[in-house]
Amino acid sequence: MIILVMNAGSSSLKYQLYNMEEESVLAQGRVERIGMDASIVVHEPTGKPEVNEVSEILDHNTAVRRLIELLTNKEHGVLMSMKEIDAVGHRVVHGGESFKQSTLVTEDVKKEIRRLFDLAPLHNPPAMMGITAVENNLPNVPQIVVFDTAFHQSMPQESFLYPIPMVLYRRHKIRRYGFHGTSHDYVSKQAAETLGRPLETLKLVTCHIGNGASCAAIMNGRSFDTSMGLTPLEGLMMGTRSGDLDPAIVPFTMNKEELTLNEVNSMLNKHSGLQAISGIGSDMREIVEAMDAGDKQAKLAFDMYTYRLRKYIGAYAAGMNGLDAVVFTAGVGENSVAVRKAVCENLSFLGIELDAQRNEVRSKQPRFITTDESRVKALVVPTNEELLIARDAYQIVKAESAEITE
Amino acid sequence: MTGVRKVGVVGAGTMGQSICEMLAANGLDVYMAEQGEDRLAHAMSMIEQSLDKQMERWALTSAEKKLILGRIQPKSSLNELQACELVIETITEDLDSKLAIFKELDAVCLPDVILASNTSTLSLTELASVTSNPDRVIGMHFVYPVHKTNLVEIVRGLKTSDAVFERTKQFVETTIHKKGVMVFESPGFVTTRLICLFINEALHVLEEGVASAEDIDSAMRIGYAFQHGPFEMADRFGLDAVLAALDRMFRDYGELKYRPSFILKKMVRGGQLGVKSGRGFFEYDKEGGRV
Repeated sequence: MIILVMNAGSSSLKYQLYNMEEESVLAQGRVERIGMDASIVVHEPTGKPEVNEVSEILDHNTAVRRLIELLTNKEHGVLMSMKEIDAVGHRVVHGGESFKQSTLVTEDVKKEIRRLFDLAPLHNPPAMMGITAVENNLPNVPQIVVFDTAFHQSMPQESFLYPIPMVLYRRHKIRRYGFHGTSHDYVSKQAAETLGRPLETLKLVTCHIGNGASCAAIMNGRSFDTSMGLTPLEGLMMGTRSGDLDPAIVPFTMNKEELTLNEVNSMLNKHSGLQAISGIGSDMREIVEAMDAGDKQAKLAFDMYTYRLRKYIGAYAAGMNGLDAVVFTAGVGENSVAVRKAVCENLSFLGIELDAQRNEVRSKQPRFITTDESRVKALVVPTNEELLIARDAYQIVKAESAEITE
Repeated sequence: MTGVRKVGVVGAGTMGQSICEMLAANGLDVYMAEQGEDRLAHAMSMIEQSLDKQMERWALTSAEKKLILGRIQPKSSLNELQACELVIETITEDLDSKLAIFKELDAVCLPDVILASNTSTLSLTELASVTSNPDRVIGMHFVYPVHKTNLVEIVRGLKTSDAVFERTKQFVETTIHKKGVMVFESPGFVTTRLICLFINEALHVLEEGVASAEDIDSAMRIGYAFQHGPFEMADRFGLDAVLAALDRMFRDYGELKYRPSFILKKMVRGGQLGVKSGRGFFEYDKEGGRV
């Protein structure tokens, strides 16, 4: 079965084409700067030379048409015809309380995703454009939506409610949703496999730390708590996002600096985090480099970042009353030796014993970074959200066709 | 009018700059037309200054600033606006100059392109009269500063078509995310007419010695949740602009309530124009902050 995975942003579209028999990637690529004169198309068919082109792609519809052309092109393509595509899986950021798992796209599902625009005004509309574009170009191909929030829908009320008037939850659904769900789900399964223990018996803290960053407490294979909240601003310190702070700082600062809602939102989302403290940038590699060269602000940013991460791991260990393993994933988690070291070395009281050599290893495989004797393990597990989307789509389409033949 | 990607702006004064900046910040390609390379360069540098100011207030990142500036193309001839799907005229409030611009735009732009004017007092019906199809002429009256004030008065001239009005309203509400209110042509429309009367009445209260300028401003600001009281508001609009609007409405309506206060006339004659001259009813620094 051939499955196309799509991740649509407001002006971009990323895609992977999977052959699900061996879970191999047949092609991947992206369209950037959609809506502008000079849109960029990058297409990387496996085993064939990469294609780069600049052309005018004014909307997602044209972008999808172009990518189907590339996939079926005699020279650069990997398919004989577009009929070979059995299903399309989409990443959708916000599933609200309506979607607890991935689902087949129907008229009702589309209506519900539109209703959720209010909760994710920046992220859900482009996903909808992607779905419509596929409908136009690949009619009758089943589409599946996979939500960033779905995995966290298993959280109990004491985790997802905020201690503010309940009427706000009832009226506006103000609560913790959490994000990066697909990634937390994927790496927790991989970690259980690497640990050689059933996921249902494990207490894990997964740290998805990339551009955005979130931690999840995963108990018995279900999300028990997670650090991002109503929006992806809460929780850990990130590249340009503040993460947790005293909520009174918001009205206080607005008053002192005469800021508008837009300005204070932009301040917390785009001008805070590593960037604000280091004054250098939001990229952890640059921060570590500057810190090693003796830059005091870079060191402060690094220390704050790792301290806040440790606090979350400790809190979740307490929340679950136990901990079997900590899992690092995403850009920083998979690549920053220094971050993992600073976090693990200062969690020895929890039973984490870092193996400095293992921590230095670079690999695309799941691996331990603690000693064999370590009571609590730490692992690096490269995330693969696209594969999980493809797997979900595969399962749902297989189940559907089984139902029809019965 | 979801298809609008390129917008022409004619006139790169304070309002023109502010409109160009807002359009570019909404992801549109902007063709900014003005006579003379010097004026165009000056307008670009003013827009950059405004963006820098917003960066200081954390509203923008440097990458966003670059993107916004990159979307604004200075043009020294109206012929270069041919590719635009909407053109907004915002030159000084002088009827003859505006008529000349509309005549030229009518010849340059394709027949389905909407021609809008940012006029606050002139007649759209009159502007439309020099074009070959007056149904595509409409008013889009923005309020300064354009990127912060989310209101546009969409003004219908006598012959403006329903379709052109609907397309304009859709552009205002879905493309640039502002509230559009429908106004039929009438001197001062809604905003200018009401706010100038408010300022004029405050001037009478001051003249009569009922209260000081500072106290009148505090009373209205705090009592009725205005961002600025009437005098600081007038200082920010420019006292000459307030006087011109009142004069125009006094002429058009012929009613005494629009007659500009003598204090206002005196201050304009004396060159105390408000924020732009550093002094009006209050004093201001170069950045426009109250001293």
